[in-house]
Amino acid sequence: MATTTATVSITSADLTPGMALGISADTTLYQTGTTTGLELVDVGAGRLTQASGADSLQEALGTADTSNWIYICNNSTDVEQYMKIGIHDTVIGNLGSGEWLWMPWNMGTADNEINIEAEASGTIPYEYAIFKSTFTLPAKT
Amino acid sequence: MATTKAQITIQSDITTNPITIIKEMTMHKFQSNVGLEETTGLRTKKFAAETAVVIVEQDEFTNDKASKVYIRNTGTSKENFFYVAKHASAAASDTAAVTLGKLYGGDWMLIPYLADVNITVAPSTTDAMTLEFMVFQE
Repeated sequence: MATTTATVSITSADLTPGMALGISADTTLYQTGTTTGLELVDVGAGRLTQASGADSLQEALGTADTSNWIYICNNSTDVEQYMKIGIHDTVIGNLGSGEWLWMPWNMGTADNEINIEAEASGTIPYEYAIFKSTFTLPAKT
Repeated sequence: MATTKAQITIQSDITTNPITIIKEMTMHKFQSNVGLEETTGLRTKKFAAETAVVIVEQDEFTNDKASKVYIRNTGTSKENFFYVAKHASAAASDTAAVTLGKLYGGDWMLIPYLADVNITVAPSTTDAMTLEFMVFQE
């Protein structure tokens, strides 16, 4: 069984004056409702341009009750360049240069693709990792 | 200007060549190198019903900026979970398009937040569960 862990540390000495912020958390990723690790992963990198509009980074399988996780990082160093991240028609937020996100991904409906869109001119380099629980690969088209 | 940093470390042996991702970010204002200066503070909320509850109200924050939301299920159960959805009030489900995903015991998430719609959670059980969450806002 594979083991995947995700750890976060959030710190600030001056966001809340007089009280330093220190949050740390870690989790092991399991298939839904079990202690069996996730078995599928897609890792990649790409470059986005504004002209391309919103693109699907990963299609949802429409498989209900699965556990899936997404990491996306905007590797641009230009503060003007940000990425809009969404699940189908739900925009999650703006991912600024140098910023990353980590979140679970509901694949319960086949419409729930992960989409990304570059904003501001130029090319935005990005990287991603998607961890999935299902053993079922998409059917051949 | 405040400086708030967040570092993620992902390690996995799903592939024969182990995956290690380590990335640190500084939380900045939208299209800026100025750090985020406001926060809700870390909140903790206990749940003992399956009723959907709004934990982040969009109208408390400026829309279309660079806010961030951290959410963690502080429990240990790998059977019970919270649905997390971007929706004003609806209960979440596996087949709802607005459902982002599920947080089982120990699971956490850190996402950018557009502040255009509320963030709603719905426990999967009436057993007691606790969430901690924090908004870093512009």
